[in-house]
Formats: sequence, C-alpha cells, structure tokens
Amino acid sequence: MKLLDYLTKLDRRVIYLILAIVVILPLVFPSTQKVRVMTPVQRLFNTVEMIPDEKILIIDFDYDPQTQPELEPMAIALLRHAFKRRIKMAALSLYVQPLGLAKLAMDQVIEEFNSEATTTADSIIYGKDYVFLGWQPPPIIPLLGMGISISDVYKTDYYGYKTDSLPMMKNVKNFNDVGLLISISGASAPLWWITYSQTKYGVAVGAGVTAVSASDFYAYFQTGQFSGLMIGMKGGAEYEELIETELKIQQRRKASEALGSLTAAHITIIIFIIIGNVGYFVRRRK
Amino acid sequence: MNISFDFWIWIGAFLSLCIFSFLYKDNPFYKFAEHLFVGVTNGYFLTFTVHRVLVPNLFKPLFEGKLWLIISFVVGALYVARFIPKVSWLVRIPIAITIGYYTGASIPAVIQTDIIRQIQGTILTPQNFQAWHAGTMGVVWSIILFIGVLCTLSYFYFSKEHKGVLGVTSKIGIIFIMIGFGAAFGYTVMARISLLIGRLQFLLGDWLGIIK
Repeated sequence: MKLLDYLTKLDRRVIYLILAIVVILPLVFPSTQKVRVMTPVQRLFNTVEMIPDEKILIIDFDYDPQTQPELEPMAIALLRHAFKRRIKMAALSLYVQPLGLAKLAMDQVIEEFNSEATTTADSIIYGKDYVFLGWQPPPIIPLLGMGISISDVYKTDYYGYKTDSLPMMKNVKNFNDVGLLISISGASAPLWWITYSQTKYGVAVGAGVTAVSASDFYAYFQTGQFSGLMIGMKGGAEYEELIETELKIQQRRKASEALGSLTAAHITIIIFIIIGNVGYFVRRRK
Repeated sequence: MNISFDFWIWIGAFLSLCIFSFLYKDNPFYKFAEHLFVGVTNGYFLTFTVHRVLVPNLFKPLFEGKLWLIISFVVGALYVARFIPKVSWLVRIPIAITIGYYTGASIPAVIQTDIIRQIQGTILTPQNFQAWHAGTMGVVWSIILFIGVLCTLSYFYFSKEHKGVLGVTSKIGIIFIMIGFGAAFGYTVMARISLLIGRLQFLLGDWLGIIK
C-alpha cells in the first residue's frame, strides 16, 4: 500500500525522467518495427500515383518548427514520391514561418535525386520539374484566386522569378490543371482548402496533419472530401513504408526510426494511467 | 559518437536544452530562449511582410503609376487610427470591410463543407457503406456512425428533460462523446511524444552524433 501511495504522489520530474529514458533507449538501440499501412495513407499514395501526366501536384507546406518532427517526414516522403514518378510539383505556404522549412525539405530531396543522376534528363531541375511559389497573404487569396489563375496570385515565385515565365507553369493555369493538392499542416489549412477551393473549384485535396488534430479531420476523410490522409508520425512512417516497398526508394526513414520510441512511450504512459487510477480507487475505498 | 562542429547546430542544441530546462522548473535560461523565439518569429514575419508583400504588391506598383492602389493603402492605414483617440473610430472602416468580405466568402462555403457534406456522409446509403473500404463491415460502421451522430445530437438537446427515450439516447450519446475524448487524448499523447522524439533525434543525432 505504501508503494501505491508513493507512486500516486510521484514527482512529475521523475515521470519526465522515466519518459526521457524510455524514448532515448530505442533511438540509441533501434529495433525493426513493422509498419502496417492503413487505408487513409494507402488512398493518398494511390491518388498521387493516379495524377495524370498533364496535371501537377501542389504541396502546401504549412508546418513550423513546433510541428516539424511530425510533419516533415511526410513532406519528404511525398517529395520523394513525386520526383521518383516525375510528377510536376508546385510548393507553397499559406503562412510565412514554413517557408524556410519547405525549402530545407525540398533541397534535401533534390540533393538525394541529383546526386544519383547521371544526365540532365535524370536531374530534378527548378522551373521544369518543380516550382516554389512561396507565400501570398492572406490565405484566402490563394485559396480562391488559384481557381482562376495561379500566376495572377503568385506573380513571382519564392526566388523572385516571374511565375508565368517558368517552363513548368506554361501549361498550368488554375486548379483545372492540378491533379491533387496536399496540405501538410499543424493547423486548419487542410480544412480551408476543402472549404474554399474544393467547394468552389472541385480540386482534389489530401492532407498530412498532426496527431493532436486527427479527430477533427477523420470526418472529412470519411465523406470523401479528403482523397487521403496522413496522421502524425505514424502516418509519415506508413508513407515511408509505401515508397520503399512500392517505389524501391532506399533513403533514411526518420518517422519509421521513431516508432520504437513512440511505442515504448505509449506503453509507459498507459502504465502510469493504470497506476494513477488504481491508486485513486484504492484511496477512495479507504 | 561524432559531435557536430557546426556553430548553428550548437546554437540549436543550446536553445533546445534551455527550453527543456523548464521541465525542472522555471529559470532564466528558459525565459531567454522563449523570448528569443518570440522575437525572432515576429522579426522574420515583419521583414518578410514588408519585403515580399508590401513592396511588390503595393509600393512598387504605386510608384509605377497604379494610383488606384492608394485606396487600398489608405484603407489599410486606417488600422493605425486606433492609436489616435480623436480619429480612432475610423478603424471601423477596414474592420467592417474585412468582416464583410470574410463573412460573405465563408458562410456558403462552410454550410456546404461542414453541414451538407457531413449530413450526406452520415446518411445510410450504399455509397457511404463503400466509403469505409471495409467490405460488408462498411454497413456496420455506417450504422454505428449514424447512431452515434443522432445520440450525440440528442445529448445536446436541452429543451426537454433527459428522460424516457431522450434519456436513453443522450446516455448513449455520452458514451460516444467519451470515446471521442479518449481518441483525441490518445492522439494528443502521440503528438506530444513525437515532438519530444524529434528534438531528441536532433540532440542525439545532429548534435552529439550518437545515433545515425
């Protein structure tokens, strides 16, 4: 009984320490975790696969440093998928903070592909294979304006080039030329895309979201408003699994590497919750 | 072990440890990192807004002769009137324009997205059974969803005492609400632990080089 009393009054700092150890150990001594791909991620992958040659993929990078660990692996996996399949890709952000992180993710994946390229045709080239449209506030402008003209909303790209002068954008006028738009966001951006852009212009929307907001987004996946959905680090790991098994892309899988720690931390928290509840009921009975 | 010699990695590691130090107790290192983060974020936002938004979209075209943009400039500048007591009422003009525009744009879109499509998704139709990608189990999930929505809505019906049929449905509604809270909490734990893992991957990998 004394032990139970001690455990129920445990200092929160001890819990933090235990949690830190539990998270660190699987990172230092990694073990293989089997990743089971769930329907929402599989459907997103399939939708990307089905983008016609004449249409582009838009990735909305809307994560900031606070949500980067969960969302960046999704963005990197999507970029690898798009570049491997030679799907033309346009990147943008609805907020200013994600711009640097978006560039970081694109630079990393482009470096991966270009370091293995042997000819110019194999290389990923700016303006031909992808463009970085940048940021155009307020969000309502791109959400509605891109349905009429993308180059009118983004007159210049992130680097200051005239958008309509870029080769890739010659045949891309508006949402009619977009096969899929995927919003990777730690906030409500995916909902804005379906509320404004999809309702008015019918653009297909997919999403990569943080786990904390998952329950808000599932309803829109069930109704078909989202073509696919990645949720949290697990969602990123599932997409990494798909691009490795289906496309044979062998690169670092940051989300999959974290699954051991995630599982260990979840088990620890479950044990703490059980101890807390048992302690509560025992003390109440006394 | 392969410690990084990149100056910026060390800065990142130092600031991460400053933030983590709050877990022990509040301290000047945490406060320093917190204030630095807020300051840098605001500075970045302000600089970007001026150079990437105001200059190319307003000032540059204005000086190139697109004089009608002066209307946007004046209306936008009225936000500053808030700080001058005698003319502070003028701030209502840009606020009214903004609210009017956003309300007009939002209402039909939100009704379509959040009400009509969600009701369509709840109705028991063969199309919705297929949406679950669960074969014959799709019918079961659709029925559970249907019951869950109706019972949860009945819980929030307060014009009649929760007795009889309404009492039963509202109690079932509570069960669905609790399951929803449980799922949301579980996902929240996953999200927070993921952020911790991300930082530890940086500290143990990029900084200390202990992990790959």
